Amino acid sequence: MSAPNRTAARLDPPGRRRRSKPHVLRHIAALVLSSYALLPLLYVVSASLNPTGTLTGSNRLFRVVGLDSYRRLLASDQFPFLTWFKNSLIIGVTTAVLSVFLGALAAYAFSRMRFRGRRTGLLTIVLVQMFPQLLAVVAIFLLLSRIGELVPAIGLNTQAGLISVYLGAALGVNTYLMYGYFNTVPTEIDEAARVDGAGHLRIFFTIILRLVAPILAVVGLLSFITSMNDFVIASVVLIDPERQTLAVGLYRMVSNPNYADWSAFAAGAVMASVPVVALFLFLQKYIVGGLTAGSTK
Amino acid sequence: MTDLQGAPTRSPGVGALVAKISVLGGLDAIAVFLAAVLVGRGDYTVAALVVVGAIILTVIYLSERLLPAKYIAPGLVFLAIFQVFVIGYTVYIAFTNYSTGHILTQDQAVEALLSQSQSRLPDSPSYPLTVVESGTQLGFLVTAPNGTALLGTEESPLKPVDASFANGQAVAVDGYTSLRFADILGRQDEVSSLAVPLSDSAADGSLRTLDGRTAYEYTSSLSFDSTTGVLTDTTTGESYRDGGEGSFVGEDGTEILPGWQVNVGLDNFARAVSEPSIRGPLVYVTAWTIAFATLSVGIIFALGLLMALLFNDPSMRGRTAYRIVMVLPYAFPAFLGAMVWSGMLSQSFGFINQVVLGGASIPWLTDPTLAKVSVLMVNLWLGFPYMFLVATGALQAIPGEVREAARMDGTSRLQMLRHIELPLLLISMAPILIATFAFNFNNFNVIYLVTGGGPRDTGAGIPVGHTDILISLVYKVAFTGQNRDYGLASAFSILIFIVVAVISVISFRRTKTLEEIN
Amino acid sequence: MLMTRKSIAAGALLAVGLLTTGCSTSSDTPTASATTAAPDTTATSTLTVWVDAERADALAQAATDYEAQTGISVDIVARDNSTLKDDFIQQASSGSGPDVVMGAHDWLGELTTNGVVAPLELGDKATDFLPVALDASTYDGTVYELPYAVENLAMLRNADLVPEPAANFDDMIAKGTAAGVEFPFVVEQGENGNPYHLYPFQTAFGAPVFGRDAAGSYDSTQLTLGDGTGFAEWLATQGSAGANTMSTEITGDIAKEKFTTGQAAFWLTGPWNVKAAVDAGISVAVDAIPSPGSEPAQPFAGVKGFFVNQYSQNKVAANDFLVNYLGTVDVQVALFNSGGVLPALTAAADAVSSDPIIAGFKAAGLDAVPMPAIPAMGRVWEFWGIAEAGILNGAEPDATWAQLTSDVRTAIDGS
Repeated sequence: MSAPNRTAARLDPPGRRRRSKPHVLRHIAALVLSSYALLPLLYVVSASLNPTGTLTGSNRLFRVVGLDSYRRLLASDQFPFLTWFKNSLIIGVTTAVLSVFLGALAAYAFSRMRFRGRRTGLLTIVLVQMFPQLLAVVAIFLLLSRIGELVPAIGLNTQAGLISVYLGAALGVNTYLMYGYFNTVPTEIDEAARVDGAGHLRIFFTIILRLVAPILAVVGLLSFITSMNDFVIASVVLIDPERQTLAVGLYRMVSNPNYADWSAFAAGAVMASVPVVALFLFLQKYIVGGLTAGSTK
Repeated sequence: MTDLQGAPTRSPGVGALVAKISVLGGLDAIAVFLAAVLVGRGDYTVAALVVVGAIILTVIYLSERLLPAKYIAPGLVFLAIFQVFVIGYTVYIAFTNYSTGHILTQDQAVEALLSQSQSRLPDSPSYPLTVVESGTQLGFLVTAPNGTALLGTEESPLKPVDASFANGQAVAVDGYTSLRFADILGRQDEVSSLAVPLSDSAADGSLRTLDGRTAYEYTSSLSFDSTTGVLTDTTTGESYRDGGEGSFVGEDGTEILPGWQVNVGLDNFARAVSEPSIRGPLVYVTAWTIAFATLSVGIIFALGLLMALLFNDPSMRGRTAYRIVMVLPYAFPAFLGAMVWSGMLSQSFGFINQVVLGGASIPWLTDPTLAKVSVLMVNLWLGFPYMFLVATGALQAIPGEVREAARMDGTSRLQMLRHIELPLLLISMAPILIATFAFNFNNFNVIYLVTGGGPRDTGAGIPVGHTDILISLVYKVAFTGQNRDYGLASAFSILIFIVVAVISVISFRRTKTLEEIN
Repeated sequence: MLMTRKSIAAGALLAVGLLTTGCSTSSDTPTASATTAAPDTTATSTLTVWVDAERADALAQAATDYEAQTGISVDIVARDNSTLKDDFIQQASSGSGPDVVMGAHDWLGELTTNGVVAPLELGDKATDFLPVALDASTYDGTVYELPYAVENLAMLRNADLVPEPAANFDDMIAKGTAAGVEFPFVVEQGENGNPYHLYPFQTAFGAPVFGRDAAGSYDSTQLTLGDGTGFAEWLATQGSAGANTMSTEITGDIAKEKFTTGQAAFWLTGPWNVKAAVDAGISVAVDAIPSPGSEPAQPFAGVKGFFVNQYSQNKVAANDFLVNYLGTVDVQVALFNSGGVLPALTAAADAVSSDPIIAGFKAAGLDAVPMPAIPAMGRVWEFWGIAEAGILNGAEPDATWAQLTSDVRTAIDGS
């Protein structure tokens, strides 16, 4: 079988509608799972709409409904919410794109090339991430303050420094995930391209990357979410409020239980989830829409 | 599988070569610059490493041969700098006594001790102060309570002088330049460390200032001889020496803190395995940790996969909406979800008992068994969106033709799942499952936020609870009260890592066989 | 064909190894190299001050005014309250730490043991502070903290439900019950108890945690906690097996929800929660804490203030900012106006006491004693709450309290 055919066959053929079943059971299952997924989030939304809301006190959800907390947060002098939002997006997107790129490069080598230490190398990069991160904060602080003495642009209190720290995790379990996916792309495709005279770089960029788009999208989304949600490292690296991310800024609002503004925090968390959902919607077609049929033709 | 680089690599075009050389040239130039700066600062080791790193990278990219390294190196650089450093630092700390009271260097500890030992002479007056300078030597020009001016420097004790006054305060004296407050700000270290003796006898104490505006009479109850390294309590005459464990120790064995960091060899590891408070609960905590990690992976994988399969069918209506709902828990900060769950599971006031179960009184968080169930349930909620995304991605890798062929053979949906899809999925997802296991093995946050390890095991001498896992137990032992024992905690985390790594490596071996059969 | 690229991975791993060794070697002497870094010869008149996120606003104005007066710019950095102390301890000596840090007086044991804070000299101003504030800011006879605000618990009362203050604990429960609400009284507990909030009731039975030595410092060898069996027995009568006036099921959020929605008549809490209650439209009165025993119910006082980093390069400016600026009446009143917590300076405290709520907290804390800052106190907290929670949930009070005392003593002796 020729490579292009094989690829095409990976698609769900559009005409192949399965015997149309009403899927009643499936919808019931889906609804049960949805309520499990949504229940705690309803609490968060309810708290965000109640200006004096707390997270755990009330069982009467949506007792008070108003957008005060959202307005308060967006108009606040103390909390530069929109700046945080922008910072988070910049850091999240940059981290996601670079992580995918670095990870895909490595996954390509591990999947397509044979060299000594390949398995050990793969195993090592996953094992490295299993190390308990107990002292991560102390170590990263020391490292970045030293780097900052030499190269202030990637030292403490810089977004580039934070992105670099996040990129330390670019190789790791995500590489493994991509590696597994790369392996399912038939090598006949590479062969055919090589016969046509393409070099390894061209094969990688113009052929392989397109064929593995679903996993690139998944890994990109995962990296984006991870960097959006991290506050442990970010809160040590980013010091100035104008440079901080959403997670750091929002967490600060509630880190002192006596003064926690849960309502504004919940409002911020609700707004912060919008980019994640938007990115998922955007990437969804790459993740599940399958491969573009013409990629190898 | 093809051996891609077995064939001769095509020579790159001239443009590519120029680009490559300029990028590498730039990189090396930066490296040389950094190395020069580092050598200037005396950091020879780091400088050497920068040079070696740059040479390795240059060789990799100029060589015609090292193709895999060209692809792996970019990610590896970040991994080496950031991830491996954290591990290296933890290992280093594990061999030190880094803990409360031992965070400084010895010089800093001496500085702190001497500073803490300064005490103001009882009922002594305060002296309005003008800091003056002669040559480069600083002096204090002060106004005594009786209105006379006194002058002194580090070497010459306080003596009356004729000075000019403003507002009853001596402000200038012949032969000296008076410093303005702004001048003082430029020499803060000199000013705060200046001690002007009150008289020829050191025992009378000396004049010091903290804010540059007022001086006070101090005596110090400690003195340090830097040649012998002996710290002496001047009030009791007791002498303290470096006890070899990062602190000064008196003749009767009393230790004074702050101390400093020293290498303690394998002490922390020895304590980690012999610590009596941790040995009692160790067996059941370990058992629960393994159970928690295994069950978490199992249920998270099962639910994530179920959803991925459910919503992967193009004929399922509304699947985009469902998918968004499934991703939502992942779009909120994990600690928020864990906290809300913890509140919802409250026995008398929680949403689950009060609303969902119509007024039940189930002790979700206070019964040892139910608390374990609750922790797993919350962990499932936190983890399934990840597995759903990963499984959805992995499902796309199963060639449609495989399913088609199976379907033509009359295979049922369930059989197809069991004999075709699941085995294929497992190959690509096994590493993820192993990594998820390792993550949950050390999933401190979920335990801490949902139950705090409780309900407490009242029999144990430390506040350990029925849902504590190894890493949370380590926190409770190493970070109790005001004590932060980073050395002990690091040793523990290395031991835990070894356990996790061994389990993982064995599992990976199994996956390898799985992969090769395929 | 597999052998064509030998040693590539080996080379790569070697690189990792080398980089690692380098990095960890470089970390061997982080503090030393930081202090030997370029000496501070130029005038750096910028003070970096770490503060709790919720106080950052209040201080921003003070910082601007101080700069206008002296030319020293003050960089207020809002930090996570939960990690502020540990971050400061780790970073203070590295050369990258702040010059000044805001914190609570009960950090002092830890800060001085680690040698990261420098002594202050309040001079003649010392006596201008509330006695409890000065007491709290002094550790082992030396002042380390410039006190800024004093916080203590008081009894919040819903004046629409109960117009008169309660005479004692039982009277409070009776009045609250008569008001016909679901909860006559709420106090924050939780699964692991909350001894800070129960401490006033414990003192009503005459059992502080530690005795004091001749110099007035808390003495870890005098564990007076053990005298609290009377309190333990009383607590048992209030728990789930008795009157059920207090429950480990009531978390801070639940207590807040019940009082702010008018379902609770009395709420034992601190000044931080007043705003939520007032905003919710409750007519709030602040009373002294009704005693369940023969002695007055006295809460712990917590004194917020500022510490100077021992390794600051700007000690003169830092001391000037603290002692000569933050320690003045105008500034303390201004800080009060944006923070709402009782000032530590007596004149400032008097100036703002026309506010009945502040006056209420001040009166409730009249004889409050500072929470012990000695390291041994850390050992007490871990066992204390658990024991109280156990008693509330039906554990035998005398035996539980005896167990608590012996656990604490063992933990203190063992450390």
